[in-house]
Amino acid sequence: MEDINKKLAKAAPGKAVSEGTQYPTVELEPAELRGVAQALKDAGFDYLISLTGMDYGDAFGTIYHIASTDDPANVVVLKTKTTDRENPMLYSIMDIYESANLYEREVYDFFGIKFIGHNDLRRIFLRPDWNGFPFRKDDKSENSTPTRNITAEEMEEMPQITIGEDGKIKQSSKMLFGKNEYVVNFGPQHPATHGVLHLRVSLDGEIVKKIDPNFGYIHRGIEKMAESLTYPQVLPYTDRLDYLSGAINRHAFCLCVEKAAGIEVPMRAQIVRCIFDELTRVASHLLGWGCMAMDMGAITAFVYGMRDREKIMDIFEESAGGRLMPAYAVIGGLSQDIHPNFKNRVTEYIAYQRKMLKEHHILFTGNPIATGRMHKNGYLTKEKAIALGTGGPTGRASGWSCDVRKIEPYSAYKEIEFNEIIRNKDTKTGDTFDRYIIRLDEIEESLNIIEKLLVKLDDTKEGDFKAKVPAIIKLPAGDYFQRVENARGEFDVFISSDGNKNPYRVKFRSPCMTLISALDPICKDGKIADMIMIGASLDYVIPCADR
Amino acid sequence: MITYFKNVFSGLVNLCKGMYITMLQFCRPKVTEPYPENRKTRKQFERFRGELTMPHNDKNEHKCTGCGICAMNCPNQTITVTKNKVTTEDGKAKIELDQYLYDLGSCIFCGICTQVCPQNAIAWSTNFEHAVFTKSKLVKQLNKPGSKKEEKPAPVKAEPAEKKEAPKENNDKSE
Amino acid sequence: MSLELSGLINAIHEGLTGAIEAQWLVSLIEYVLVGAGLLALYALIALFLIIFERKICAWFQCRLGPNRVGPWGIFQVFADMLKIMFKEIIPLKHNDKLLFYAGPCIVVIGSFLTFGGLQFAEGVHGVDLNIGVFYLLAVSSISIVGVMLAGWSSNNKYALIGAMRSGAQVISFELSACLSMMAVVILGGSMNLSTLMEKQEDLWFIFQAPVPMLIAMVIYLIAAHAETNRGPFDLPEAESELTAGYHVEYSGMTFGYFYVAEYCNLFINAAIGALVFLGGWQAFHIPGCDGFNAVMDMCPSYVWFFLKCLFFIFMSLWVRWSFPRLRIDQLLHLEWKIMLPFSLFNILLVAVWVIIF
Repeated sequence: MEDINKKLAKAAPGKAVSEGTQYPTVELEPAELRGVAQALKDAGFDYLISLTGMDYGDAFGTIYHIASTDDPANVVVLKTKTTDRENPMLYSIMDIYESANLYEREVYDFFGIKFIGHNDLRRIFLRPDWNGFPFRKDDKSENSTPTRNITAEEMEEMPQITIGEDGKIKQSSKMLFGKNEYVVNFGPQHPATHGVLHLRVSLDGEIVKKIDPNFGYIHRGIEKMAESLTYPQVLPYTDRLDYLSGAINRHAFCLCVEKAAGIEVPMRAQIVRCIFDELTRVASHLLGWGCMAMDMGAITAFVYGMRDREKIMDIFEESAGGRLMPAYAVIGGLSQDIHPNFKNRVTEYIAYQRKMLKEHHILFTGNPIATGRMHKNGYLTKEKAIALGTGGPTGRASGWSCDVRKIEPYSAYKEIEFNEIIRNKDTKTGDTFDRYIIRLDEIEESLNIIEKLLVKLDDTKEGDFKAKVPAIIKLPAGDYFQRVENARGEFDVFISSDGNKNPYRVKFRSPCMTLISALDPICKDGKIADMIMIGASLDYVIPCADR
Repeated sequence: MITYFKNVFSGLVNLCKGMYITMLQFCRPKVTEPYPENRKTRKQFERFRGELTMPHNDKNEHKCTGCGICAMNCPNQTITVTKNKVTTEDGKAKIELDQYLYDLGSCIFCGICTQVCPQNAIAWSTNFEHAVFTKSKLVKQLNKPGSKKEEKPAPVKAEPAEKKEAPKENNDKSE
Repeated sequence: MSLELSGLINAIHEGLTGAIEAQWLVSLIEYVLVGAGLLALYALIALFLIIFERKICAWFQCRLGPNRVGPWGIFQVFADMLKIMFKEIIPLKHNDKLLFYAGPCIVVIGSFLTFGGLQFAEGVHGVDLNIGVFYLLAVSSISIVGVMLAGWSSNNKYALIGAMRSGAQVISFELSACLSMMAVVILGGSMNLSTLMEKQEDLWFIFQAPVPMLIAMVIYLIAAHAETNRGPFDLPEAESELTAGYHVEYSGMTFGYFYVAEYCNLFINAAIGALVFLGGWQAFHIPGCDGFNAVMDMCPSYVWFFLKCLFFIFMSLWVRWSFPRLRIDQLLHLEWKIMLPFSLFNILLVAVWVIIF
C-alpha cells in the first residue's frame, strides 16, 4: 500500500493522496489529468479498469480506476470534475488508455461531458437524435422521446473536439466509412451476434476491413434505475446484466454492499455463493463452447452444451428456486439454506461433466476443420488486451494474468488453493484456439474448485446462511468498488452513496463492452467466417455491454 | 509429401472420431421431456418460484395483515395492496386487507416479497403454466373472496412485535 | 414373382396399345403418365426426406424430434408443407423480378430433370440414354445457375456473398465428382446406366475393384455432399454468417422450391452413388453361392435401390450433423489440393486395375 501511495504521489506531485478510502485516490484539476495519467502509465499502471461519469449536483466529474498489471492488486483512483454545467468539457485520455474510447463515449452519452481530443464522440447507447443526457440528475429527456428514423449518415458521423494551438476549441466531424465502401449490417437481428449487437462491417469481398459496433439495442438504463431503488431491489437487476453469469454479478453487488455496510457474511454462505459462482461459470462456458461450435456450423455441439448446462440449472432450481436467474445471494448471505440434496447432486454432476468434457474434446477440439479454422487465426497480443481491458478468459489466453479471484481474492476464494488457467505466458499472443480451449480448461478447474469448496462446506454449521441485516440498508457516504471475476472477465460494481437508502450512483463495469471493442483489431483483414468465429470466441453477451 | 499424407490421414481419423461421438449420442436415451404427456408424473423442485400465492387454511383464512411491505419492496410495483378500515364489534378500529393484487405480467420472480413478509403470509407455488388469453387475466387477486385474517394464538403475539418495528420505519422513510 | 414393377408397366403399355390404335396417342399418354409418376415421386421423396432428416438430426442431438402431429410426428411435414404453400410471397422493390422468380424454378427444374435419367428398379426408368452418367452429372449442376440468379437478383448483400461462394464451391467440387465418376466409367466401360447395371449383376463395382472404387466413392460422396450445399459445406447458406445466404429474401413457396430441391438433390446424389458404386437396384450377390443369391433376389429391386439410397443419405446426415463448417479458403484447399490429386491418381489406378484384372 505504501508503495502505491508513493508511486501515485510521484505521478501527481503536489497532490494529496486521500487516506481512508478503499484505494489511494487523488483529486485533480481537468488540465492536470492527462499529465498524471501519462505518468501513471509510465510507472506501470497500464490497465484502465473503469471510467465512471458522475453528476455531483453542482459539477460533473469522472472517476478513473487504474491498475497495474505487473503488480496485481495495485489500484489507484483519479478523480476530476468540472463545474461548468452548461457545456462541460474534460480532456480525453483515449490516446493513453485505448479502452477509454468506449468509456468516454458512454460518459458523453449519459452526462453530456465532452472530451477534448476524443476522435469519435458519437452517442453509444442512445440514439443520435436523443435530446438531453439521461444520467444528469436534472434531466427530463424521457419526455421528449424521439420517433423519427435515423439515417446511416447520422450513425456514421463522428464529431470531434480538438483544441487548437491558440487554445481555442474547435468542433469538426469525420465520416466513419468512405463513400465507396461495401458496408454490411450484421445485426441487430442476426444469428451470430449473441443478442442484439449491431455490427457495421466494411467488406472487401470476403475480407473484413473495418468493424463498427453499434450498441444500445437492449439498453435498459439499469444504472439509472438503480438510483431510485433500494439496495436489495437492485439485486434482481444485476442478474439481468449478463444473464449467463447472473449469480456472479449478483454476488459482486452483494459483496460491495456488505463491504460498505460492514456486514460479516457467514462462512457457509460464502462457500455456497462461490460454488454457485463456479457452477455459473461452468454453465456459461458450456454455452460459450456450444455457441462457438454453432457459429462455426456445428449445431449438434450446441445442443450437447445445452444438455450439460441443464444439469446445472437443475442444481440451481433445487436449492435457489430459479434457473437462469437463481436469485440466491442476498445482502448478508443467502435467501435460504441449501437443499439437503445439494451436495449429492453437485458431486454427481461433477463426475458427469468430467466424462462429457472428454467427449466434447473428441467431438470438437480434435476436429481438423475446427482446428484448421481456429489455429493461427485471430491473434490478440497481451499489450493489446491490456490496452483494451479485455480480461477474463480472453486476456488469459493471451498470457495476461488477470484473474480477479487471484488478484483480489474475495469471499471463499481466499480459503482455497486453485490454479489460474493461463496460456501463452511466454509468447504473450493468443489465437482463437487459445481462447477456445481455455474455456474448456476453466470448466475443468472450476469443477476442481467446486470439489474443494464442497469439502469446506462440511465444516460449516447447517442453517447458518445469513447474517443479521437491518431491514433498511443504508451505506455510509462514500465510494465503494468491488471487483469480481465473472465468466467473461472482470465485472466491477461501483457504488457511490450519499447515506440514503438509495445509491447515489451505481456503475457496473462490463467486461463485454471491452470484448466487443476488441473485435475490430482482431478481425481486421480476416474473413467473414473468421469474424463470426472470433466474435464467438470472445463470448460476449450484449445485455451486459448495453446495461 | 509424407506430412501431406499424414495430415490427410490423421484428419480423416479425427473426423471419424467425431462421428463416433455423435453416433454414441444417437444410440443413447434422449433427454427431451415429453411435456404435456408427463404432466401428471412430472416433479417440480419444491423451491421453484412459479407464481406468488397466499396460502389459505381450511377455514378460508390467510395470514396477511395488509401491511404492504411486500408492495413497497417490490422492484417493479407488481403487488398492490388495498386496505379497509373496519370497526370490530368491541368498537376498536382495525385495518384489514381488502384486495391483494398480484400482476404476474410484470413479476420478475426475484423473491424479495416472500423474504420480507413479516407474517409469512405469501409463498411461491411451483405452477409454471402461466399462459392466458388476455393480459387482464394476469392480474390476480391472491386473497380468496370472503377470506379473513387468521386469528393468532395469544402467546405468539409478543414475538413478531420486534419484527414489526422495522417495517414501520420502512413505511415512514419511503414517503 | 410379381413384386417387380416392370410387369405392371408392361401391362399398362399393352393395355394402352390394345385399347387405342393411334401410336402417337399411346406414346403421349405414356409420357404424361411417366411425368406425373416422377412428379409424384419427387414430391413424396422430398416430404419423406424432410421428416427423415428432422428425426435423424434430433436423434444425433439427444432430442426426440417432431412428435406432435400424428404418431411420432410423421404428419408434421404435411402440416409444414401446407403452411408454406399458404404463406405470402413477399415481393421486393428494386430487384430484377424475372430473374428473382426464375431462380427457384431453375433450381427445381435442374433437380427434377435428373429424375428422368435415374433407374429406380429393374426396368423402371424415364429414359435410358447411352450417355446416362454424363447426363446425370450435367443436369444436376444446372441448379447452380438458379442459385446464382437468386443471389444476384435479390439485391441483398448477404445473398450476393452467398451466391458468389456457391459458385466457387460448386464449380470446384463438380470437378472431383466427375473425375470419380470417370473412374466408374473406365471400370464399367460404358456411360449407359443399363449397361453399368448389367455389369454389376454378379458383383457390385465397389467389390469388383475395392481399392480404387472405395477412393472414388469417398471422393464422390464428399463432392456430392458439397454440391448440395449441406453439412460442413453449407457456406452459401451459412446460417450463422449470412443468415440464409442466397435465399434470404425468399418467402412462401419460392423458398419452398429451394427447400424441396435441396432434399431432392440429397436423394439424387445418393441415388447416383448407389447406382454406380453399390449396384443400384441389383441385389447383393456373391458369385458362386446360388442359394444365397436366390434369397437375396426375393427382395424386389426397388427395395434394394431405396435401401442403398437411404444408407447414403444417412451417411450424409451423419456428416452434416457432426462437423463445423469449412471456411471458403479451406474448402478450396480441400478440393484443389487434396481431392483433385487423389481423384486424378485414382483414375490412373483404376486404369491399371482394369488392365491387370
